[in-house]
Amino acid sequence: MRRISLLAFGFLSPAIIVAAVFFMLPVLLTVAFSFTNMSTSTGIMGGDYILTQTQVRRLGEQGKITPATEAALTGDGYTISDTALIIFARDYGAARAESLAASHLDQTVTTRRDMERILRDLPRDPIRSATERKAAAEVFKTSVLDRRLPDAEAMRQNLAPLDLAPAEVDVLTDQAYTGWHWTTDNFSTLAALPATLRYAMNTAVYVTLTLTFNVGFGLFLAISTFYLPGRLANTFRAIWFLPRILPPVLYVLMWRWFTADQGFVSALLAPFGYTPRNWMLDSATSAWLSIVLINGFVGASLGMILFSSALKAIPPAMLHASEVDGANRWQQVFWIILPQLRWPILFVTCYQTLSLLTSFEYILLATDGGPGRQTEVWSLAAYHTALSNYGGNLEYGLGAAYALVLVLIGLFLSVIYLRLFNFGDLVSKPRIEQ
Amino acid sequence: MTARRSTLILTLILTLCSLPLGIMYAFQLIDSITRPAPGSIWPEAFDLQNWRFLWETIDSARPSVWRVTLNTFIFAATTATIVTALSLTAGYALSRLNFPARRFFLAGLIVLHAFPTITLIVAIFIILQFLGLYDSLAGVILVKAALELPFGIWIMKGFYDNVPWELEMAGVQDGASRFRVWAEIVLPQIAPGLSALLILSFLSGWSEFVLPLVLAPGGGAPVLATYMNAVIADQANQDFGMFKAIGMFYATPVVLIYLVFQRRLMTIHGGGVKG
Amino acid sequence: MELRIDGFTKRFGTSTVIDDLSLSVASGEMVALLGPSGCGKSTTLFAICGIHRMDAGRLHFGTNDVTDLPAQKRPVGVVFQNYALYPHMTAAQNIGFPLRVQRLSKTKIEAKVRAIAELVQIGMLLDRKPAQLSGGQQQRVALARALVRQPEILLLDEPLANLDAKLRLEMRSEIRRIQRETGITAILVTHDQVEAMSMCDRIVLMDKGQIVQQGTPAQMYDRPVNRFVAGFLGNPPISFLPAVAHADSLDLPGGAVLAKPGELSVLGAVTLGIRPENFGPQHGNGIEGLIMAVEPQGREDMFDVKLSGGAQLRAILPAHSGFALGQSVNWGVDASRIMAFDDKGIRL
Repeated sequence: MRRISLLAFGFLSPAIIVAAVFFMLPVLLTVAFSFTNMSTSTGIMGGDYILTQTQVRRLGEQGKITPATEAALTGDGYTISDTALIIFARDYGAARAESLAASHLDQTVTTRRDMERILRDLPRDPIRSATERKAAAEVFKTSVLDRRLPDAEAMRQNLAPLDLAPAEVDVLTDQAYTGWHWTTDNFSTLAALPATLRYAMNTAVYVTLTLTFNVGFGLFLAISTFYLPGRLANTFRAIWFLPRILPPVLYVLMWRWFTADQGFVSALLAPFGYTPRNWMLDSATSAWLSIVLINGFVGASLGMILFSSALKAIPPAMLHASEVDGANRWQQVFWIILPQLRWPILFVTCYQTLSLLTSFEYILLATDGGPGRQTEVWSLAAYHTALSNYGGNLEYGLGAAYALVLVLIGLFLSVIYLRLFNFGDLVSKPRIEQ
Repeated sequence: MTARRSTLILTLILTLCSLPLGIMYAFQLIDSITRPAPGSIWPEAFDLQNWRFLWETIDSARPSVWRVTLNTFIFAATTATIVTALSLTAGYALSRLNFPARRFFLAGLIVLHAFPTITLIVAIFIILQFLGLYDSLAGVILVKAALELPFGIWIMKGFYDNVPWELEMAGVQDGASRFRVWAEIVLPQIAPGLSALLILSFLSGWSEFVLPLVLAPGGGAPVLATYMNAVIADQANQDFGMFKAIGMFYATPVVLIYLVFQRRLMTIHGGGVKG
Repeated sequence: MELRIDGFTKRFGTSTVIDDLSLSVASGEMVALLGPSGCGKSTTLFAICGIHRMDAGRLHFGTNDVTDLPAQKRPVGVVFQNYALYPHMTAAQNIGFPLRVQRLSKTKIEAKVRAIAELVQIGMLLDRKPAQLSGGQQQRVALARALVRQPEILLLDEPLANLDAKLRLEMRSEIRRIQRETGITAILVTHDQVEAMSMCDRIVLMDKGQIVQQGTPAQMYDRPVNRFVAGFLGNPPISFLPAVAHADSLDLPGGAVLAKPGELSVLGAVTLGIRPENFGPQHGNGIEGLIMAVEPQGREDMFDVKLSGGAQLRAILPAHSGFALGQSVNWGVDASRIMAFDDKGIRL
């Protein structure tokens, strides 16, 4: 007994590890990320500390720091102090440092231009290169703003000379953090955005239409090929099965050509007075039609296969009997074949609802949500928000919030799906009891 | 008489419905080896210029198609091997071995099998960054293999379920350990399943588009899907002839495998989702 | 080697399939576990070979308690119903597999396989794969594989079920011959009473997870303990009919009266069991009835006779007896062979 368990877990452990790292962990992380403001600009590893003028001004406006503090923070300057001179001597030569100390020690100027002028006009060995001067001027900078610091402690040190109230130091340090932090903003954003409702509606339209097409057309294919002689039936099944295994990029390319302004549909309609155009992106209606057909032609084959194998299971005697009873084909389909397919239809509906809700591959390749945002479905919105957008700032947190909705629906439906199985049968005890 | 007429009508309707696909398939082939006449969809002349991507780089920045093909092959083959190997053991344990919490693992498998893994892509994207595998072939392989695994285990479990128990009982009775029974008696029985899963997961890897696009966008792991997509996206004038030639090149292994294993692929595609 | 099961109990989930079963088999004996499907005979077999665990009870081989021994370590050979030959191995490899597991040398394996193949008479088929063998040949290979380790006990699970009628007859005596030659203790699981009676020294009849009766075939046939045993053994089967027992007669519903066997002392309502061979013209007369059905079986004909009271009796007569469908007959019963059962089905 114990040795068999050992063998079983030995056999299972790689799969368990994979499931833990790539299923459990991502599910948990999706939840976690959806409660953060993670994005390209915050990074994902944690961030630095840097105070900017804008931040300080905003804090002043919000009344979180006193005007005096604001003035102290923004009033920047350059002081030729002993400490700064040591650094200057190291980087730009002791001779220059001595020369600078001799003429300007403890002097303060307010702008970088003034500081650079001093460096340019050094009596001995002035700094000629403008870039070098710019860098050298930074050495004497005394402002606490715009300094990138590694941690909170460094930021506090940085603020120390200003003698601010501890509460203000806390506020400033907090504000200076560039990394991500926990927040529920994503969900309020989702609730507030008008686009959210739009995506949800798009998804509902997409799933309903495609599913109807898949099941309906799958049924038609299965039943019609069932009545055809074997050779012919197999040819049609082969034609309809191919889209399922063709690479999506190629499959969608064929559709893009089919609907392109130099493509088939345009050429076909030209004699009827329609100017050639890109039919896939011409209007919302045509975009939806394309998407439903692109997905439907692939999806129908699944129904076709499952329904066909269920049809093969009907005892031929039953069909013969109904023919002897005088039933015509329509009656046969309605009274014998369709009842037999109840279970597979339920199954295909359930399974495809899940995959249609969440897959965006074909839409991404075909319309990419266009024209405008007409065909942007929920899963595609998650992808665009978190993983690919033109703005360049990828909002992982918001994207995770989008995805979380789908993850929850997915989990819920998968459990329903589990109930659909005759689970008792599935877990029947192994017959060797060791 | 009426039966033959209704067969004829049915064939006609089906042909009509299949026409768009037929046209697409036909022009996929035609356009890839011809030069189109301006303003018409009919070709002007036979032309292999569309295939120039094979012997020259079409854009200066693009990697050679052969390197990308090799990448794609490595990606698909490695994924298929990993998925098959792990499914081979896990499927057996779930199908045949008596161990604690077996119910739980079986339920977990069904849920994972149905669960739309693509929804996890945001989290996986960030996990790969943490692991330092972002924008690398290894990372994409790992993720693809992981996402295919529930399907693979499900298929393999189905094959194991069909091996007669008596064979295994006989093996045990002959004095062999369960491991030895698995390796020497059960494995040879599921060889067809093994090859089917290998083929299927190879095809799936070969066609994969979203994962390399999202997880290796920087050119760390260019595969034919992203290569072809990039060529299409970057070309201002729609050179469908070349796109189709690339597609032809890309799909040849798929179509060959399809022609050879068509019947078996259909069955297993059905079986993969069947209870 | 002697085999003993004490208090064996087996549960699947919440249902108890076998409850407190005890059985012993003498060394060199061949015993049939007989019963309808679902009676627990296969479960018992799987417990003996170690594939099923016992929920309660002990199993002894000789003086060794093997209850907790895994299947691999038990000195048991099994022939499965569908033979369970390894399809990817030749007959020789199939037979040699148990020896290969024991890490015997190649030459030794070859010699042993040869020897056992001679015993089951398949010496010339050793290079073939199971798919190239007939049912009977597969059976012989399975037998050879079960015996090659020289186990102490041989278990046969419905070994003849998959063979056609002619082969079945042949293999019946073959298996018995091999069992006798090797002197192995054997248990045969079957639902076919003819198989059990013709092949075995002793029959153990099971029903609903319990042993109903055990004994030699003749004992079981002549002296069944209850209605179930009487009905299960015998082909064509025994007929049952209600009757009222008086001091020295048995009254049938239609008015016929039978002489009461001396050993029967019961009074009142009983159920009588009369075997077909004990009813017919050769046993005198006194029972009137109508022939409702005739079933020619070649050497013999079987008759269903409806008595005037409504009950039916079955008779078996040599062919060409001259009786025909629809004929009224007046036949007799061998009174000494009448069995009587009480309302619980126990034989009186």
